[in-house]
Amino acid sequence: MGKIPSSFRSLTSTQLVKKPAAPPAAPPRDFRNGIAGRESAKPSEDSREPLRNPFKSPDLSDAKSLFNSIAATSRIPLDLKFHNSVLQSYASIAAVDDTVKLFQHIRKSQPGFSPEPSTFHILLSHACRAPDSSLSSVHQVLNLMVNSGVAPNQATTDIAVRSLCESGRVSEAMDLMKELTKKHAPPDAYTYNYLLKQLCKSGPLLFVYDFIDEMLKDYEVKPDLISFTILIDNVCNSKNLREAENLVSALRRAGFKMDCFAYNTIMKGYCTMSKGSEAVGVYKKMKEEGVEPDRVTYNTLIFGLSKCGRVEEARKYMETMVESGYEPDAVAYTSLMNGMCRKGLTLGALSLLGEMEAKGCAPNDCTYNTLLYGMCKARLLDKGIEVYGLMKSNGVKLESGAYATLVKTLVRSGKVAEAYAVFDYAVESKSLTDASAYSTLETTLKWLKKAKEQGLAV
Amino acid sequence: MLPQRLKKAITDNPKKLGNLIDLVNLPSTLRDFLGQSQISRLGCFIRVWSYIKTNNLQDPKNKNVVNCDEKLKGILLGKKRVELAELPSLIKLHFPKEPK
Repeated sequence: MGKIPSSFRSLTSTQLVKKPAAPPAAPPRDFRNGIAGRESAKPSEDSREPLRNPFKSPDLSDAKSLFNSIAATSRIPLDLKFHNSVLQSYASIAAVDDTVKLFQHIRKSQPGFSPEPSTFHILLSHACRAPDSSLSSVHQVLNLMVNSGVAPNQATTDIAVRSLCESGRVSEAMDLMKELTKKHAPPDAYTYNYLLKQLCKSGPLLFVYDFIDEMLKDYEVKPDLISFTILIDNVCNSKNLREAENLVSALRRAGFKMDCFAYNTIMKGYCTMSKGSEAVGVYKKMKEEGVEPDRVTYNTLIFGLSKCGRVEEARKYMETMVESGYEPDAVAYTSLMNGMCRKGLTLGALSLLGEMEAKGCAPNDCTYNTLLYGMCKARLLDKGIEVYGLMKSNGVKLESGAYATLVKTLVRSGKVAEAYAVFDYAVESKSLTDASAYSTLETTLKWLKKAKEQGLAV
Repeated sequence: MLPQRLKKAITDNPKKLGNLIDLVNLPSTLRDFLGQSQISRLGCFIRVWSYIKTNNLQDPKNKNVVNCDEKLKGILLGKKRVELAELPSLIKLHFPKEPK
């Protein structure tokens, strides 16, 4: 089976996403900048609600006159927040140049308006998302900012980098970060790690290392524990575990101590490669160093051991998990079921379903698919149909592996009509695309014909 | 593992997928049955299969066999009884062969 159950995948990867990208905790950023950043992060939502946006057309003169009429009729004094939201609304539909011009118009007509970093951040985020390949409009906004006596700070860097990366311009983001570091302030850890992660996703590892070296040498920006964890995760995903070990020693040399999250990451690397002993080794090392394993550690370990066929040990770790105060969840059970099915303990896996439900742990889509696959592989078609019935009544989607195996098993035992019904369910529940559901069915039927010709089947 | 390989083969092979979902100009027999002049092989299969279901053409004694009505006979080589298992290959006959 060799694949990570999807529920498991989300457990590890979402945490990795969340950890470095937690801007609210950033200490040096002032509150207002944080708001501006978040508002500017979702201009698409603004444009989806045209009713709320007072600006109907991207035309500059219309926008100016609309602004003037609001300014003339408003009874309350217009504050910074108001001007910012005007710019924000206009930016969601207009070009960068026009937005900048509207900004200048506001500044001219409202002498009380003194723009703050948040104002420029709106313009900057807009400029970074603009689809032109050069960074000229970004530089234009930055110059405007500096000339107005507002120095770019760490929040500025963060917003620019995130906006650029979100529009797929990672290398531009890197250049801009270097430039801003040189001229103004170094990035904070959140921005740095965010960019590092994007670089890992988009380019070769050497490129990433170059970036780290350059930041370290030229600007004294050091990678932290999270940076190392991101790197380890990245090399583990590309199955380069030797490099992961190197990174662990580099991390120690840099004076950091592996935390639970870092251990989990490297353990996940071993587990996906079916290296059970190494995964257990990581667990023992954690214990030695006094790092308390968490739920993810146990889930990973159970998954890894099940994957390489060491079901008994996986079961033992499940007990250890309970002793440490973590109730096994659907991920742990599903991993174990997967292992048992692979070992040929299919009926044991099925009884595990009853066990988990008795303990109040609801099975998820992946659990059902694992069981269905296991039953069909073990040629326990009756049980398989039972599981399929459960899935159907719970509206669970079929995964392609389980679907293909079920269809094949049905066809093999002469239940072509049932196989067609399964095809209908797969299409109806939108489990698979019509094309892949059909080609599975077609291939299976072709196989049946061939087998019949050779006098093999049914 | 077969299913993953299979899935990969489909997504990695645009030619094969194209053969399945590209619109094709239909011969007159099919055109009369479907009431349209262009359809993909996939679409055609789904239409024929739902035609069988809505008209209850499956043999009540053996669901794997379809008792064709006059209309269906016309597009399935004039056969009176057709096994469900051969339905895809019969439909495929109306469509141009995959270039090798």
